[in-house]
Parts: sequence; C-alpha cells; structure tokens
Amino acid sequence: MNHNNKKKKSKNEQQEFEFCEVCRLNHNNGRRHNFFPSHKNSLSSLLARFQSKISDVKFFLKTPMLILPEHTHQNRLWCVFCNCDILELDSQFAWSVISSNAVGHLASEEHLKRVKGFMWKYGGGMDRVDLFRITEADFAKWEKKCKSLKAEAAKTQSVGTSNDIHNKHNAEIVNSSCNNNFDSLKSCIPNYVVPLHSYTNERTPLSGSVLSSSVSKTGPSLYNIPGGSQVQDAHYLKNLTGSVSNQHFPNSLARECSSYGDASTGSVYSGVRAGIGEVSPGLVNLTHVSSASKVALEGNVHTGAPPPWLDGTKGDNLDPALKPESREPVSSRAGKSKLNPKRVGAAWAERRKLELEMERRGERVNNNFDANWLPNFGRVWQSGTRKESRKQFQIENDAMREPDNHLEAVMPIQPYISKRMSLLIQSLICSVRMQRMILSASLYDAEAYCKTMCE
Amino acid sequence: MEYLLPTLRKKQEVDSLIRDTLDKVLVLRFGLSSDAVCLQLDDVLYKSVKDVSKFVTVALVDTTEEEIQVYLKYFDITYVPSIVFFFNAHHMKMDSGSADHTKWVGTFQRKQDFVDVVEEHMVQGCKSSLCNCRRYTERQ
Repeated sequence: MNHNNKKKKSKNEQQEFEFCEVCRLNHNNGRRHNFFPSHKNSLSSLLARFQSKISDVKFFLKTPMLILPEHTHQNRLWCVFCNCDILELDSQFAWSVISSNAVGHLASEEHLKRVKGFMWKYGGGMDRVDLFRITEADFAKWEKKCKSLKAEAAKTQSVGTSNDIHNKHNAEIVNSSCNNNFDSLKSCIPNYVVPLHSYTNERTPLSGSVLSSSVSKTGPSLYNIPGGSQVQDAHYLKNLTGSVSNQHFPNSLARECSSYGDASTGSVYSGVRAGIGEVSPGLVNLTHVSSASKVALEGNVHTGAPPPWLDGTKGDNLDPALKPESREPVSSRAGKSKLNPKRVGAAWAERRKLELEMERRGERVNNNFDANWLPNFGRVWQSGTRKESRKQFQIENDAMREPDNHLEAVMPIQPYISKRMSLLIQSLICSVRMQRMILSASLYDAEAYCKTMCE
Repeated sequence: MEYLLPTLRKKQEVDSLIRDTLDKVLVLRFGLSSDAVCLQLDDVLYKSVKDVSKFVTVALVDTTEEEIQVYLKYFDITYVPSIVFFFNAHHMKMDSGSADHTKWVGTFQRKQDFVDVVEEHMVQGCKSSLCNCRRYTERQ
C-alpha cells in the first residue's frame, strides 16, 4: 500500500505542470526537464546573451563615462533573473553616468539572490553566479570613479566663457552624433579649436570614413549609443582644452579601449593622440581604406545615382540561364483554349468572337441581325427542332400582325412529349390492345360454347 | 432593384446581350419591379451576382415594356418571375421538377440555390447536356 501511495505521489508530481522561463513552455517533467538537451541549449543561449550584455555594463564599470540625461533613455537593460527592466532615469546632474542604475542593480543583494535561485531552478551551475553579478569590490571602485568624474564635470562647468563655448560645442557634437549625423560631426571636429600645445605637423587629419567606421564599431553593442565614440571624442577634446592635468583620463580610456579588444577605437584617437606625442597601441596594424574618389565619380544614394544592380551595362553580362524565359508570342496562344470545343454553342461563340474583333478593328461585318432576330429556343407547346419552333413562332407573329388571316386558330397545338412519356403511352396502348384481344378471345370462346350447348 | 442590376427594356438590348454573352451563362429574369416575389428574387440575384460574375451574367427584363412582349410570347412566359438561361446564345433547358423545362418559374429561397443552379448550367453547357435541377425545387 505504501509503495502504491508513493508511486501515485510521484505520478501526481510529474503531472503537475510548471512553466520553464528558459524554454518558454509548460511541462510536467519536473526536475528532469533541466537535463533535456533542448532546455540545456536554451539555457546556454540565454545565459550567453545576458553575459554579453553584462560585459557591456562591466565595460562602463571599469571606465565610467558621462552622458546627457536626454540620451539616458537609450540605455535599458532587461534583467533575465529578476524579470525587470532597468532604466537610466537619473537626471540630477547635467551629465549622468552611463549605466549607473544597471551597475547598482547588478551589485544588489536581491539580484544575487535571484541569480542563485534561477541557477538552482534551471540548472545553470552555481559556480557561474559571479559571472552575472557585480561584486562589492568592483562596485566600490566604480563609485569612487563616478564621484571623481562628477567632480570634474562640475569643475569644467564652473570655468569661464571660453569653456562655455567649448561646452556648447560639445553639446552640439553630442546632439548631432546622437541624431546619427556623422557628416556634421565630421565637419565639426576638423574645425574644432586646436590647443596650442598640439603639434600640427604630427596630427593627421581625421577622414570621414575612418571616423564613421570607427563610430559604428565603437561602444557596447547592447546600448547602441550612436554617439558613444563621439562622446568619447567630445569629452577627450574637452579635456584637452579644459585641464591639462587630466590627460591621464583619455590615455587610460584609450588603453582600456584597446584592452577591450576593439582596435577600431584606437584608430579614432590616432590623429589626435599623435598630436601630444603618444602613439596608440592599436594603430599600426590597421589599413586605411578610403573610397572617396570612387564615390565622387560613380555617385551614391545621396547624389541620386542608380544602384549598381540596376546598371544597364551590366545586364548584358548576365548568365543566359538566369535570364527570364522569352515570352511566347501571343498569337500562338490565341488558338489554345481551355474550353470544351464540344460545348453548347461553341461554333456560335467562335464566330461571334471573330465578328466582335472585326468590329473593334473597324471592319464591316456581315450580320443577319435584324429587328426580328430571335435566339435559339425550344418552346413549350411545340415539339420538333428549335428551328421549326422558331419558324412557327415567326408565322404566328406575322399572323398576329395581320388579323385577317386568322391562322392562329388553324395552327395545331403540338405539345412536347418526352421519350419516357411516349414509351409509357405506347406500353399502355399495347396493354389495352392485349386486354381487348384477350377479352374478345374470351367472348368468342364463350359464344362458341353457348352454341354448342344449345345444339 | 433596377438600379442595382442591368435592366433591359428594349428587344434590341436583349438581343445584343444574348448574342454578345459568350462562354458565360446568361440569366434573364422576366418580371416586374413592383411584384413582391420579383423583388425577393432580385435580392437573391443581386447578392449572388458578384460571386458568380466570372461565369454568369445577370440581367433583368421588364415585362411591362411593349417591345418585350415578343419575348413573352416566344418564351411562353405566363407567370412572373421567370428566369430563362442561355449559354452562347443557346437556350438551356432544365428539369426543375415541373413540366416546363424551358425556364425557372418563381424565386429562390436561398442565395446558394441560385448559385448551384447556375453552376449546374455552366457545367452542362460545357458538356452539352440537359440540366437536372430537380433537387433545388425539392428543397423549397
């Protein structure tokens, strides 16, 4: 009995459905579900995606940066473990630190608890908990950096008119960059006020293609900050003009960028950093590719040039197998028809179509369609062919117009009799005749008998 | 319903429509616009005409017109509404359960009945045979 009860209990447990947030489905497999390959795949992909997002956050953890509160709405993070959306809505300062709320959330104890619970429930591995959170030590370091950053921002804002102009220019750059207006950024930076201590002969011009390519590659992919590198540029340039003593910031930033593994970010600073006598580590191996000359000749979307795949000269080089099949001449298809050639009125239809075509062309058509034309109709009270019925009707019509003839009374009514009816009538007639014959025969026999009897 | 379906008042119009409707079933409704049964039939025709427009042409013929009297005699129309079916200018006979196989007398109760009848006409017109539409009258 106890063994049966245990079996029943285990069956009941298995039958209880629960929702797996990793696989996004309901199952009644209990803990066994965590070992299914589909679940393992889903879990690994989920954790990998969140890991990439956390790595982006950790990038800003190591190097905190400032961003305008207008653009903080672009920084959002969905925490898979806590099922909550982390927004950046800090608007206390003119400049706010990127991903401050995200860092605070990932370092919180509640998040840690939920990560542990998630890993235990879905089998992610308890040893990987630290990968999805920020330790207290890192959080403390980050807080210190933020404080110093904000202090610098407050200092630069309190400086005189020359810095106000630079701040305005920075704001313009950031705004234009956030609007993905790379052209304006390109035009802004070369025209920017260059500090006197920079060596102009060592400073290489920033080409638009390099800048745009680096802009697109720079920055964490999750946050999609279009002005990420521009922010860095603006801030870097602002620091150059603002306080010379803070040169360590851009240096460390570049170093961090290069250590982050994005060599393209190093190329952004190649020209400017050369101006202060330092060489970025990631510059040497990059090849600059500029297609400005080609673009100027062929044109692009902005100049209204046609796209290359619609170029007429290239059409001849197409593989004949890829060319569309040549259309069959319409005249050869005219003779083909899906309609049954034996359908009702097929001859009339074909003839009439030809006549209509001729009429459309303007040619004369010999028609016998007068006012007395009548269609092919099988009348009710007339048997025989339809032509005969039509003739009879026309005769009747003429008789009606000429009341003197009185032919209508003469015309016999010949109702239509179907074959079945005619056969039935014939059979009836035969049976009647047979009966008569039998009756007559019987009568004859009776008479003969009577005669013999009398005799 | 004269404003919803093409109405013919002259013999020439009827003739041209019969002659020029090719490879489609031509439905000619003979009736009056003031008759209740005719109105019901017209309503069914109007609702169905769009669905069957690819193989059917529907037209109303006003029996009060003088020029149409010829057709009333020719088709032996004594009760209205009456529907005469044509295919490629040939009159299509149908067995509707009555002795008169030349036309459909009366109205259709449902739109589907009319659709079935014209479908049968189309099929038989392509096959060149008589239409058997007894089942549609038995339903009514």
